[in-house]
Amino acid sequence: MSLLLSQTEIEKNIFEVVINFSNLQIDKKEIESSLGYPEDMIPNHFSELIDEIISELPDKCKIKAGYCLAEINKQKEKKDGLTIADKFFNMDRLVTAQIKKSELAALFVCTIGNVMENWSRQLLTNGDPATAFLVDTVASITVESVTDLLHDFIGDEMKKRNLNITNRYSPGYCNWPVSEQQLLFSFFPQNFCGIILTDSSLMIPIKSVSGVIGIGANVKRKDYVCDQCGMKDCTYRAVRSRLKSI
Amino acid sequence: MNELIERISICVERGKVNKTSPYPKDLAGQDGADELTRQALDSNLGPDSILQACNVGMMKIGERFGRNEVFVPELLMAAKAMNAVMAHLKPFFKAGTVKAKGKFLLGTVAGDLHDIGKNLVSMVVEGNGWQVIDLGVDVKPGKFIEKIKENPDCIVGLSALLTTTMASMSKTVKEIKEQFPNIKIIVGGAPLSHKAAEQMGADGYAPDPQGAVEFLNEFIAA
Ligand code: B12
Repeated sequence: MSLLLSQTEIEKNIFEVVINFSNLQIDKKEIESSLGYPEDMIPNHFSELIDEIISELPDKCKIKAGYCLAEINKQKEKKDGLTIADKFFNMDRLVTAQIKKSELAALFVCTIGNVMENWSRQLLTNGDPATAFLVDTVASITVESVTDLLHDFIGDEMKKRNLNITNRYSPGYCNWPVSEQQLLFSFFPQNFCGIILTDSSLMIPIKSVSGVIGIGANVKRKDYVCDQCGMKDCTYRAVRSRLKSI
Repeated sequence: MNELIERISICVERGKVNKTSPYPKDLAGQDGADELTRQALDSNLGPDSILQACNVGMMKIGERFGRNEVFVPELLMAAKAMNAVMAHLKPFFKAGTVKAKGKFLLGTVAGDLHDIGKNLVSMVVEGNGWQVIDLGVDVKPGKFIEKIKENPDCIVGLSALLTTTMASMSKTVKEIKEQFPNIKIIVGGAPLSHKAAEQMGADGYAPDPQGAVEFLNEFIAA
């Protein structure tokens, strides 16, 4: 299915993607399970609160997304990792094994802005921690859904060029140090998508995601190799089960 | 147990804040922790027995959390109900008639701006009868040290979101322990683990607010 999204090339090879809230699919079951509840076990009260929070999302999500296309350097590296443009990323083999056949890389970021965060903080200050926690969780699931959409969109764009894409990977996952966010952000103009990276590699707004997707004639998007990693509550396990359930 | 006291305990456990609060559904329209505490005080039930009732309520919900029968939202509702009780008991704390279980000095470490997790911990710990001194986010080691000097009987809690700021956490633990070897430190946040806590020289780690309460309860001030 082709997505009704559009993009603008703001600088050479740097694209801003327009994602409207109506493009998103928020899965309530995923919210519940991320709160810890087994299926259908969430108390009605919280379930209704989640509905109310979801109904506020169109107003409160300021979605921004974008990516930069850069060439992958195919020279053999001495240590595990990948050179994109002229920058060496210290990635684990878990990641490079999936991406190394690519000719290009899409380095991406996306965010839902800070309105949800501020709402959650406000609720907490007003003495309503449970709703604050629900707002925070819904916001996290929403930005993950934005990331899914951006991933699909980049896939569609590359299909137009007869190219395929790989899975996505993020600094901080699969043994890829989160400090490499600095390198990743060096591909973007200042304040790209309204996201600021702190010296400690934290993205502000908090509800933001970054990563890389490989692009090439001979690559494909396949199952995450979660079986090779011990982390149980990782986002990619969730992505994997989402893809499987389609 | 006196009936009012028992009902307060149930309200805390079930997260029933006040009469108008719609949660939990089966107690809708009934008096909550707020009204019942007022009534208890008006009928000369001492703040001690009310606090005792709250402890029982918080303990029970904590146990149910431990058995995966309830989850963080229920725990937070209980904390909210508990805070409704506390609002009535403030004067007694001020006058020294009743005492907090101890002081918990909490903050998100330098370089880290993530606060929701820490704030939830703060809320639940406070609900369990501790005085929480929340230093906020991006707290430099020097700030912790300064506050420990002012509150030498406190227990310290540190929070971090990313592995990058775990390094800053580790530095904070070292600096605190260098000056105050006897101060107990518990750490938490998404990238932490028992192993990481041990490696940085902290005394404890907990994955959730309930774990923080259980750790603290081992050090209740005499
Ligand atoms: C949801 C989530 C997200 C969401 C929201 C993030 C947020 N925190 O708001 C989104 C999708 C935006 C996201 C993004 C990223 N994430 Co993320 N994310 C998670 C996830 C699945 C849950 C975190 C969460 O929000 N929990 C809910 C909140 C309320 O909980 P909390 O803050 O952790 O606090 C609780 C406990 O930790 C504890 N606690 C907290 N403080 C304290 C203190 C004390 C003393 C105690 C006792 C307890 C305690 O009690 C709190 C209440 O229960 C975790 C994995 C996990 N299961 O923990 C990864 C995780 C935090 N993310 C991770 C990473 C890497 C990232 C990204 C860098 C990925 C990327 N490149 O885009 C970004 C960074 C975002 C940024 N702003 O810089 C890593 C961080 C570790 C690392 N390698 O540095 C984790 C741990 C996953 C992993 N790889 O293991 N993430």
